[in-house]
Amino acid sequence: MSSFSKTRRPQRQTDYDTFPPSCPIVIDNGASTFRIGWAGEPNPRITFRNVVQRPRHKATGETVTMVGDQDPALMKYFDCTRSSYRSPFDNNVVYQFEIMEYILDYAFERMGADGSRVNHPVLITECACNPVQSRSKMAELLFENYGVPSVAFGVDAAFCYKYNQRLGICDKDGLALCSGFSTSHAIPFVNGEPVFEACCRTNIGGYHVTDYLKQLLSLKYPNHMPNLSWEKVEELKMEHCYIAQDYCSEVQLFQRGGNEAEQKTRCWQLPWIPPPMEERPSGEEIARKAAIKEKQGQRLRDMAALKKTNRISELETELEGLEFLLKELENVKESEVQAFLSRTGYVSKQEIESAIVRVTQSLRRSKGEPAEVEEKTESSATEKYPLINISDNMLLPEQLKEKRRQLFLKTTSEGRQRAKQKRFEEEIEREKKNQQDEEKRLENPALYLEQLRAKQRELSDKVEQRKRLKTNGSRMNGNQNLSSNVGRGERLNAVQKERMRLLTTAAFDRGKGEDTFGTKEEDWQLYKLMSKDNDDDDEGPDVDEAELVRVTSRLQDLDPTFVPKLDLGSFQTVSDIPRVRPLTKEDFQITFGVERFRCPEILFQPNMVGVDQAGLDEMAGISMQRFPLKGNAIEERITNSILVTGGSSRFPGIVERLEAGIRKVRPFESLIRVVRASDPVLDAWRGAAAFASSGQFYVQTFNRDDYFKKGEDWVRQYRLRYTI
Amino acid sequence: MMMMEAEVIEAEMVLPPHLSFKKIQMYEKYPKGQARGRHWKHLKQILQAENYQNYPPNEPNYVNIESPPSMYPAKKYCDLTGFEAPYVDPKTKLRYANADVFRQLRSLPNDYVQRYLALRNAAVVLR
Repeated sequence: MSSFSKTRRPQRQTDYDTFPPSCPIVIDNGASTFRIGWAGEPNPRITFRNVVQRPRHKATGETVTMVGDQDPALMKYFDCTRSSYRSPFDNNVVYQFEIMEYILDYAFERMGADGSRVNHPVLITECACNPVQSRSKMAELLFENYGVPSVAFGVDAAFCYKYNQRLGICDKDGLALCSGFSTSHAIPFVNGEPVFEACCRTNIGGYHVTDYLKQLLSLKYPNHMPNLSWEKVEELKMEHCYIAQDYCSEVQLFQRGGNEAEQKTRCWQLPWIPPPMEERPSGEEIARKAAIKEKQGQRLRDMAALKKTNRISELETELEGLEFLLKELENVKESEVQAFLSRTGYVSKQEIESAIVRVTQSLRRSKGEPAEVEEKTESSATEKYPLINISDNMLLPEQLKEKRRQLFLKTTSEGRQRAKQKRFEEEIEREKKNQQDEEKRLENPALYLEQLRAKQRELSDKVEQRKRLKTNGSRMNGNQNLSSNVGRGERLNAVQKERMRLLTTAAFDRGKGEDTFGTKEEDWQLYKLMSKDNDDDDEGPDVDEAELVRVTSRLQDLDPTFVPKLDLGSFQTVSDIPRVRPLTKEDFQITFGVERFRCPEILFQPNMVGVDQAGLDEMAGISMQRFPLKGNAIEERITNSILVTGGSSRFPGIVERLEAGIRKVRPFESLIRVVRASDPVLDAWRGAAAFASSGQFYVQTFNRDDYFKKGEDWVRQYRLRYTI
Repeated sequence: MMMMEAEVIEAEMVLPPHLSFKKIQMYEKYPKGQARGRHWKHLKQILQAENYQNYPPNEPNYVNIESPPSMYPAKKYCDLTGFEAPYVDPKTKLRYANADVFRQLRSLPNDYVQRYLALRNAAVVLR
């Protein structure tokens, strides 16, 4: 649980050769951190995070191996997309010995090992009651790969207890409560020896605390997920988390709010640069801009006017020419008409006349005068359609044709007239409605607004419901995410479903009994239903939708706070931040109050993260219950020397909380003393280093021959004696 | 060694592929192109192979040293805030402390609900 990101990469040691082959190498192989050093020294030489990553080197394309944490600045040369951090541990047991081998390679290499083998005895830690498979694999790896002469295995918590016993912090009878990275252990000691028969393990550790915090924060701040890296959250945990003396009362403090809760709330300001403030343009500026705009507008207007006059003069000359032509034509003799016309390019007199009409009309239009054509036709209906009122039998075939044409023209123009009339009336109607609306609004603005809102809601609900019905026949609740749970069966809308049903029944009914299809008229209706055309034919929603659009736009005009409800599928953030607000510094803050003690609380209540096991305080009681030796006040002596250790024991308040918790599970007036290890993280290695430096260490190691001769059963029962 | 950037070499980031003190090198043991990582038994499989049932029950082993469930009744906490939670939302199955949280909870998209539930191992797992 150390802050890895700050540790520098360990230097390769240069004094490897100065140590005699008899000097043991001591390894604390923790699930989170690997420590290696020389027996008898006060501190490990090399410490790194117990992980391996195998990214691809971008330039060469080669897959390389990296152990421990790396300088993030140098990771740009590597492609890590397909490799993440990998640990040799499953829970607290080593299972992935390929990764373990990389780690040991790196560890020995950093220790400065050279020559053809690692010619030093090795003492390595393992978890309590390590499965024999894991233990023998580790022994084999050390013997076969590194040529280690002999090895010894011991439990980290035991080394830690022994080390603190030597320091006088705990007694020879006592209990080690060790909360590590992936697990927590309670191991009682009698006469300085661990009693594994009475120990217990809960699968909760620092990993779970960090993970819980990370998850909670990223759920609370989905936008800041990229900032919440594992390393950063680990850092936050180390810096801010604490153990509440009583979770419930502490949480109530925050529920009530107030000064104390505020003081206990921490805030992490993410890097945030205020957007460049838009300065209010000065009056001068506004005027200048308006002038420019006006100028541009004027230019466009001028251009349009020029174009117009050009066109008018063009048309006028054309009209003059045509009129002149007509006059000329009158003067031309009957016999020369054809020749004259062929010279001008027109076929007949009528054509010239119609051209004149056309040009006059467009001239009038371009001059902006109202087109009087239609009114004219109205007044002169009888003149324009002279043939309509004459009965057919009085007309020649050509005239009959002409009459039909006139009839057609008349009906279409009348139809146009009617449509125009209708539009006009509608306009008046709308105007009236708006006026009424306005009056109502002026009468009582608040009430009006409220009514409008209600109406908008009602309409939008209605429209939505219809939409839903259309897309899906049987949806129960409206506020579920539409896009997320459209299953296979739900893709068709109601109409499509009905169609499918009809088609399938039709297909399956074939050849069943006598075929009477088609004898009744209704049978043929079926085809209409089957055809695809009637998928979208209801008029109702259109009216509602139009009304909804009207009401919504009116609301938007009147009510500045009104935000139209967005489509159902759209994502809603947890907090109700209005979308349009510009982001401020506060949006880039990660605040955590309850989380500070909620996360480490899982050490005491594993139930909170769904682990159905006893918490740290109860574990002490369970360990005492499992204790085989009774009487002689041994239990009293044990609970009077409870040592708390391991990386997760560094939370402030843990000792006090443990004492209170253990008091609850132990008999009334028991002696209970809880102490913290001198260094909860390093003591295990130090204890092991001290142990390995004693002369009696060699008795407890075994070599390659022992390992292969004595067999698996012996390896399984191998147990270190910690008191030397 | 391979062509690497000077600063990468200087930082000694990359584990050298050949180490003199090893009897078998990594590239010999795990040749390139072979399926890696598959053959490592996970803890569950390791424990099954240990055959703990063949040994006396009072002998401590990895399985029987596990802590039993807590004697205290499990307290229910609000999934969002961590407050004590008297209520459960029947729709999402999330626990909540008060009306404010409820409102917030109902506005959560489904995957967030599932993630909250997964935090206490109560999510619906589709297989």
